Amino acid sequence: TSQVQRGLARLTPAQVDLKTAEVVQFIFVKDQKKIPIRRADIVKHVVKDYRNIYPEIMKSVGRTLDTVFGLMLKEVDVKNHVYILINKLEPPGGELLNMTPSNPKIGLLFVILGIIFMKGGVVKESMVWNTLKKLRVDPGDRHEDFGDVKKVVTDEFVRQRYLEYVRIPHTEPLEFEFRWGQRADTEVSKVKLLEFMGQLHDQDPQSWTQQYRDATSSQTVPVSQR
Amino acid sequence: GKEKASQLHAEGSSFDPSAFAENLLTFMGLNRLEDEGDQVEGGASSGYLPPDAWQRVANRAQCCFRTAPTFHYMMGSFLAELPPPRQRVE
Amino acid sequence: MARPLGESHKRFLQTMMANGIVDGDKARALHRHCCETHGAQYTPDKLDEFIEVINAQLQPMFMQIRKGLSEEDGLQYYALVNMAETDVTRMSADYADNELELFRKTMDLIVDSDNGTASSTDILNCADSLQTKKLKKKETEHVLNRLVQDKWLIEKQGEYSLSTRCIMEMEPYIRRIYQDQVKVCHICHNVALQCQMCENPTCGIKIHTHCVARYFKGRTDPRCPSCEDFWPHEIPEVYRPPSSQ
Ligand SMILES: [Zn+2]
Ligand SMILES: [Zn+2]
Repeated sequence: TSQVQRGLARLTPAQVDLKTAEVVQFIFVKDQKKIPIRRADIVKHVVKDYRNIYPEIMKSVGRTLDTVFGLMLKEVDVKNHVYILINKLEPPGGELLNMTPSNPKIGLLFVILGIIFMKGGVVKESMVWNTLKKLRVDPGDRHEDFGDVKKVVTDEFVRQRYLEYVRIPHTEPLEFEFRWGQRADTEVSKVKLLEFMGQLHDQDPQSWTQQYRDATSSQTVPVSQR
Repeated sequence: GKEKASQLHAEGSSFDPSAFAENLLTFMGLNRLEDEGDQVEGGASSGYLPPDAWQRVANRAQCCFRTAPTFHYMMGSFLAELPPPRQRVE
Repeated sequence: MARPLGESHKRFLQTMMANGIVDGDKARALHRHCCETHGAQYTPDKLDEFIEVINAQLQPMFMQIRKGLSEEDGLQYYALVNMAETDVTRMSADYADNELELFRKTMDLIVDSDNGTASSTDILNCADSLQTKKLKKKETEHVLNRLVQDKWLIEKQGEYSLSTRCIMEMEPYIRRIYQDQVKVCHICHNVALQCQMCENPTCGIKIHTHCVARYFKGRTDPRCPSCEDFWPHEIPEVYRPPSSQ
């Protein structure tokens, strides 16, 4: 280790900047598919011999993500050091919304998260599949926009941490239930979701008393203001 | 489950996933004129959804999501190699 | 010390990330909306200065918002590009290794052609001889569709060409890798792929289709600007965007 430390002593600010850039690139690559980022992978693939100054590098990474891109890393698994990249800017509205292309999967995600939220935080999978079938999305069939729907919902959305998909204990045959994942907790505004629900049902969002209370109370602990 | 549902009902409007699906189909631009009155399996309305149905939902739902934009590039995604010599006969 | 970015700059950059490329009109509208949304001072003619502030901060990340002309319509575009080629950037998971090899072979075909296009038949033939892993016909078509959707290729009646986004990001790469084959436009000096070529064998200069339109506009006897030979190609109309009537 003394050899490593001697190496570090010679590390110039320019070299730290270069490592910072590489870590940012790595985070962007992992985020292309919204896969959470593991500290172990950052060290293994990028930081390598500089692991002694990992905290300094990550401080610089955090500063760059914030001051240049308006983004930040959030630790979603403190034990295993797993992070997701989240946005510090408010979702675009008005004209800016029209200039931001959206992925149809966001629509699918809205439907599932919406049902879970409106039903108090947890639903059996059958309720989700039945509702999706009414929307012409069948987990058994290939869908035009989503491909293998069952895989997208129970694998992709789960790995991205939008959803939790867990077995209900003591059920025979096996039954599963859905909850919001940590990414949904940080990324999704319950107030705005409820507003959309109100628009769809032509109903005042406040008429869903319980959900309205939940949405407005959770809004007091935002990811970050500004 | 049941207890929670009735509790929710007592405290305000209930949420019916079937009504939700119906309203969402309308939002997606379902053309109900075709085969009016028919019901497909599962009791949902029949008719045709436009090809951009899910895009419509996504465009509206997007403002509920504070998702980081993703960065995509082509340069730098593969190792630069010289192409094989020209095979064309001049 | 580079100027710090405001929310308006960050919003602009994030929208560029989401779009990859936007045309000049859209970039100007975006500039305005970003400034208005975040209460920043908005100066209509200062888009390029606004972008310079962002680029100064992006430079250490080897990223850049680049301005360039489209070979398609001759209009101005802005694209967010990557400039780093490292082990980390090669981890990008958008395309598998054999899909990237297919893309490279498609580029070879396009650069090697006279007019900057490659036919789907020729590309499908390449797919049969990939070193990484062969692609079946259906798979190849699927990859080509994705490349078009992701704005790396353009398809017109079975002929593929490099998109504006692709050329803007890859121009340094194209000049380096294809230095013996690629020519620059005699008029605008940018890499010329979709273009017309002088038929005089001792000349053979290339001019972009849109540069041809502008250069020869209204001339009854078009002659090569280099060798004075008759220019034997059809002179296209100058493209007008639908919005500027
Ligand atoms: Zn030109
Ligand atoms: Zn000539």
